[in-house]
Order: sequence, then structure tokens, then C-alpha cells
Amino acid sequence: MPDFSIEDRQAICKTFERLLADKCDETRLREVIETESGFDKALWAQMAELGLTGLMIAPEQGGIGGFIEEAEAALEVAGAYLYNGPYISTCVMAPMLLSTCTDETLAAPHLQSIAEGKSIFAIAGCAPSGDWTAELNVTANAKNELSGEAGFVVHARNADHCLVYANIGEDVAVYLVKMADEGVTLTPHKTDDLTLRLSSMIFKNALAQKLEGVGAKHIQTALQIALVAQAGEHVGATRRIFNLTIEYLNTRFQFGQPIGRFQALKHMAADLLIEVENASSAARHAARAVAAQAPTSNVLTYLAAFTCADNFRTVAAEAIQLHGGIAYTMEHPAHLYWRRAQTGQWLFGSSDRFRDLYLSQMEKTL
Amino acid sequence: MSTDLKQEVETWLAAHWDSENGRAVGSSDYDQKSWLTKVVDAGYAVPSWPEKWYGRGVSPKEARIIEKAFQARGAKGWGRDRFHLGAISIFKLGSEALKTELLYELLTGPICCLLYSEPGAGSDLAGIRTRAVKDGDDFIINGQKVWTSNAVEAEYGMLLTRTDIEAPKHQGITFFIFPMKQDGVDVRPINQITGEDEFNEVFIEDARVPERFIIGTLNQGWKSFQTAIASERLIMGDGITSRLRGAAGKVPTLLALAHKHDKLKDPVMRQEIAQAIAYRQLNTLNMMRAKEEMMKNGASSLASLGKLAMSRIQHGEARLSAKILGPQILLTETEDARNANFDAAKAYMNSIGGGTDQIQKNIIAERVLGLPKSTDVSRNIPFKDIKSG
Ligand SMILES: Cc1cc2nc3c(=O)[nH]c(=O)nc-3n(C[C@H](O)[C@H](O)[C@H](O)COP(=O)(O)OP(=O)(O)OC[C@H]3O[C@@H](n4cnc5c(N)ncnc54)[C@H](O)[C@@H]3O)c2cc1C
Repeated sequence: MPDFSIEDRQAICKTFERLLADKCDETRLREVIETESGFDKALWAQMAELGLTGLMIAPEQGGIGGFIEEAEAALEVAGAYLYNGPYISTCVMAPMLLSTCTDETLAAPHLQSIAEGKSIFAIAGCAPSGDWTAELNVTANAKNELSGEAGFVVHARNADHCLVYANIGEDVAVYLVKMADEGVTLTPHKTDDLTLRLSSMIFKNALAQKLEGVGAKHIQTALQIALVAQAGEHVGATRRIFNLTIEYLNTRFQFGQPIGRFQALKHMAADLLIEVENASSAARHAARAVAAQAPTSNVLTYLAAFTCADNFRTVAAEAIQLHGGIAYTMEHPAHLYWRRAQTGQWLFGSSDRFRDLYLSQMEKTL
Repeated sequence: MSTDLKQEVETWLAAHWDSENGRAVGSSDYDQKSWLTKVVDAGYAVPSWPEKWYGRGVSPKEARIIEKAFQARGAKGWGRDRFHLGAISIFKLGSEALKTELLYELLTGPICCLLYSEPGAGSDLAGIRTRAVKDGDDFIINGQKVWTSNAVEAEYGMLLTRTDIEAPKHQGITFFIFPMKQDGVDVRPINQITGEDEFNEVFIEDARVPERFIIGTLNQGWKSFQTAIASERLIMGDGITSRLRGAAGKVPTLLALAHKHDKLKDPVMRQEIAQAIAYRQLNTLNMMRAKEEMMKNGASSLASLGKLAMSRIQHGEARLSAKILGPQILLTETEDARNANFDAAKAYMNSIGGGTDQIQKNIIAERVLGLPKSTDVSRNIPFKDIKSG
């Protein structure tokens, strides 16, 4: 993706930032998450106009031809606002999987409509338990019919299409289903993170199209890209809640002085800054390595996955402590970040798992 | 360009450095002065500096190529533009005349020692009491320094002195480059927690230093000192004080140790080892980002995090090494145990030396994050009225 310069990347992030500041500030976000869908369609359309939905889609397919470094940067912006649309499934994972499909007549129109903001994709990629290491429950037959259950599918209710990972014989393949298909049943769940929308999906002989040429290897790549994208989102959110906290330390007075003068709090803040910067470095270096297909891309992806998830949770948790009682309320935004941070710990697999995988990569050097 | 440079350095080293015996080609022993002279004359000691000051005017990236070529052959004298704090300070802050007089001598000699801390002034360094009193073209120095690393070998020290006791403490300090090899300078080694004796007490009685050896200006030494201490903390943030040095080899040291002692099957241990390795790698990534930012913007607040981050890394690795070794750590009979115990002690050099972790956190909170300054009750009163004890 050599066409995309750093200046281009910065420019698109800037416009995205302006859009979210206007259309996804805290008041608006709270309105959206109160709705059943939890999804702001009008904002999605505006994102499409800016090219954001086609960020990772090739220009021939209606996109703007960026790659993971662009997505990581854009998601830092999204994360800062706790933007909760189906971006990673629709604009990161789906394009990755669709564009590796060897049947272009199948993939191209979908890529086009994602870029145009007309289509929303969900990814049904994990077992009903939400454990990404567990055996898939969905199986496909020779007639491309799907049966079984997938769990923890993000924004399934807002999607018109779903990419489903399914067993076929000894292999795993990816199938495209229409959400409206008779054989698909959704069960939305209640979630602790109010910005999150999760459903279980049950397939009963659902009609699907197989993405030819897409197999386990590509599923792995899509996960890698998703992890880096999510790491970027965590970084944006981490930095925002950290900055809000520092602002509060400067403005809240007790004992006749700003609380930020108390050394106990200063030292917490300094420690947290290391966590914020560690996360930033991890996410950006991972994006760079994956984009360059560097030999370090696996190591850095796992490093970013657990570092950014854990540091987000740590910083959001300490932010509440640093704020005191005001943050022990639903009115204050700190809990939104803190709850979202918990989501990030589990959505694509646990930090402990990625830490172990990181070590396994390292062990290859032994 | 960079491959040419690499080629050039390698050719030069092949002709001049006998890596098998660790000395210059054709000599029977390693002689520091003559070897360093060769390196300085070739422009390899301080390559990022201009030619006029013994450098090559190359970018930091290219300088690293030279360093790597030296390291690969075990040749000494590289990276003095990053590590020779005395020379760096003179280069950055000294007058043209002072540079002309001293820079070459400093670069071809041992590193300078840092005569900062005193028995009564550690974290509160601006409270130093060593006096410098003008006498003709010289200043006469009286006082005591402590924890002075490498003072035995040093030919020069960077000396913080009190020159005005009427002014508030930060405003009556003068910074000198001070000749160590003279009567009136008494260096007494101190046994360190690691078993080494790198640092010393330095008693100074009626020693002399020429006025022209002031770094910066009279009574404004605190400002010059900030530049010097910033360079020092940058070095520590790269982890240069630890025996492990991290990323040198491909295999993280901790991983190799755990492998050797068959501890990589225990899932709890795996988590801890992975996290410890991650902390070190994350600091490396942060410092890479800091360097990119510095090249782009001339400054980076990230750099100030390295030293503090390094404390968690070094203490954490040491704790984990002990856990890997188990009860064996109690015996000094294996090299692994000796190293682990040494590293556990040495980690305090990072968390105390060059400003303690607590002081680093104060600095980060106040200067990077902009939190309100803590009050220093002794800040704005004449130095002579400050209570001590
Ligand atoms: C291995 C090593 C090498 C060294 N080499 C040199 C050298 O070459 N030259 C040199 O001049 N010095 C050297 N030092 C000295 C070092 O800089 C000092 O030890 C250090 O600055 C701390 O000063 P102190 O020992 O007097 O401790 P103190 O300042 O007395 O500190 C005691 C405790 O109080 C805490 N404390 C003090 N002030 C504050 C505050 N404002 N807020 C919160 N906590 C505070 C400290 O963190 C520490 O825990 C070296 C030290 C070590 C360990």
C-alpha cells in the first residue's frame, strides 16, 4: 500500500476526529447506547463519505487503499470517543477475508458496498462459549448449508451479512450468509459494557456461499489484523481516559490545593503514563511490522494484543480511583471506559492466552 | 551510503583492531590512550558530531552503524557521543575556547566522574555545600562528595559547587570540569552492595580549578547541570547499567535461563516470564519511538520515561531469575545463582542512581504531565539560612 503516505493517514484521522467530536461526543454516545441497536446509522454514512468504511479496501473496489497502519491510526481516534460501531468486523476483518476470496464475482460487490457504507458485516468466528480456542460449533455440508451455533457475535443485529467460520470435514472454511436467511436465528444478549452489542447466532441449514480459497491461514491473518486494529482502539481510549484524569488532578481542589499536587497521586500518574506509552508503542510497532510483513509481526501482534488490553484496563481502573467519588457514578464517563476495557480483555481471546503465544514465538529463537 | 559506511568502518577495524587479543594491531598490550587516539582521529568516537569537533557529522542512525561494527569486533571507544558525559557536556555547553582546550584530551582519556552527590545532598541535589571560592584566575575548592562512580580512574570530574551562599539554592551553583589528579583530592573507594567498588568518597581540600573550566556561567550551574543529567538519564533508560543489557542477543536472557532450568512448562511461570520479557521489549519500542520523535521534533517526552521503566524491568527480571533458580539461589556455587544475585543488587543502581524512582516520578508528573509543583520550603530563601540535618 505504498500509495498511502503518512500525511494522508494523518489527514484522514484528523477529519475522523472532527467528525466524532461533533457526532460522537459523550452526550450523543450516551443517546446511541440507550437505543436498542446501539448503532448510529447516520454517522456510519458520514464515515463512508470520508472513505473510512473503505479504508482497507482497494481503490478498484471502491475503497481508498489503506492497510493496517491506517486502520490502527483511525481506531486510535475511534477509541478515544468510545465509538462503538461495527468497524472492526465490517471494515477490517470482512475486507481481509473477502479480498482473499478467489471468486471475485462473489467478493467484489460486497467490498464495493462496504466501502460505500451500505453493507454491515458481522463475524461469527467463535464457539458459543466465547472462547476463541474452543472447537467451532458450526458445520457446513456439501450443499453449503450451515448448522450449529456461534457465540459473542458483535453487532449481529445491525448487520445485513455475516461471515461464518465453519467446520467442513477436517478443514475450516469461511461462509457468507445473509442475516435475513430463514435458517439464521439471533439471540441478543445483555452486556455489562453498555457500548457493546453481542448476540448468539444459531444456524439451521442456513444457505451460505463459501468463500473459495479462504482457509485457516487466512482466518489467522484476519485475527492478527483484528488484534492490531483493536490494540489501536484500546490505545485511543487509554490515552483519552488518562488525559481526562490528569485534567481532573489539575482542577479538583482539596486541602486548599489541586489534588495533583499530592505526591501519592503524582506517582500513580507517572506510573500510568508508562502504561499509556507502552501501549502506544506496542500498537504502532505491531501495525508497522504487519504492514511490512516483517518476521517480527507475530511477536509484535501478540505483544500489542495483551499489552494494550491490559494497560487499558489498568489505566481505566486507576482513573476511577484517582477521581474519587465522582467516578463511582453512572453520570461520569470513567465507567464507560472501564467497562469497555473489560470487553477488550475477551473479545478476541484473553490476554493470558496472547501472553503465552508471545512467549511461544520467543521460544522459536531458542 | 550506509553500506559504504559499514564497509569503510569494517575495513578500518580490520586494519587496526586485533579482535582476537583485544588490542591494537601490532601492539603487545591494550593501551587505552593510544587506541582511543586512533579512534578519535578516524572520527569514529563521536561520529554524530561535526568534523571540527572530531566527528563525522553523520546522523544518529549512521552513528549506530559505526557502533555496531565496533561492537561486533569487541573494539573499544565507540559511542562516546552518547556515553562520555563529560565530553558531551563540554561539547554542548562549553565555550569555543574550552572545547579547543579540553575536548580532545577528554575524548582520548577515561570517562569523567560525576562529582554531584554529597553526604547532605542527594535527591535534593541543589543543596550541595562544596565551596568554590575565587582566587586570581582559579577557584579553590573545599568539600566532600560521595557515591562518585569511577573516581579512581577519572582524570576529570564534573563538579557541582556552591559559589554564592546569599542566593537561593538553585541560583548560587557553579558547574566545573575539574582536574582530579592533583593534591587536595583524596579518593576512597566504597564497598558496594554488589561486591564491586565502583563508587567512592571524594574529599577535596584546597584543590584548584581554572575559572575558564566553568561549564556554562558562574552561579548558573544548575541550568548547565540539567543538560548533563538529562544525558545521563537517557543512557540509563536504555538499560546500559544492567548486566543483562537486553536485546543484545536474539534470545532474551530470562528465556534462556528458564529453558535451561526447565521452567517453560509451568503455565504460571510462562505468564510471568512473558510479561517480564514484554516489559523490556516495550521499553525498547518506546525508546525507538522517542528517537524518531527527537529526530522529527527535536524533543521527546517519552525519553524521560525510560529510566523509570527500566527499574521495573531490572528488579522484575531479578526477582524472576531467583524464582527460576529456586533454592539454588541461596548458594553461590553456580554462575547462574551468582549472576542472579548480582543482578538483584545491581538493579538498585538504576532505581537510586541518577535520581531515585521517586524523584523521576515527581519530574514526570510535573514536567511531562504538567501537574502542580510540590512546595520546596527551602527554595526561595538564601542558601545560608536553609536548615540541614
Ligand atoms: C550505583 C550508584 C552510583 C552512583 N553514582 C553517582 C555518581 O557517580 N556521582 C554522584 O554524584 N552520585 C552518584 N550516585 C548517587 C545518587 O545520585 C544518589 O544516591 C541519589 O540521587 C539519591 O540520593 P541519596 O542517596 O542521598 O538519597 P536521599 O535523597 O536521602 O533519598 C532517600 C529516600 O527518600 C526519597 N526521597 C527524597 N526526596 C524525595 C522527594 N522529594 N519525594 C519523594 N521521595 C523522596 C528517595 O527516593 C529515597 O527513597 C550513585 C548512586 C548509586 C546507587
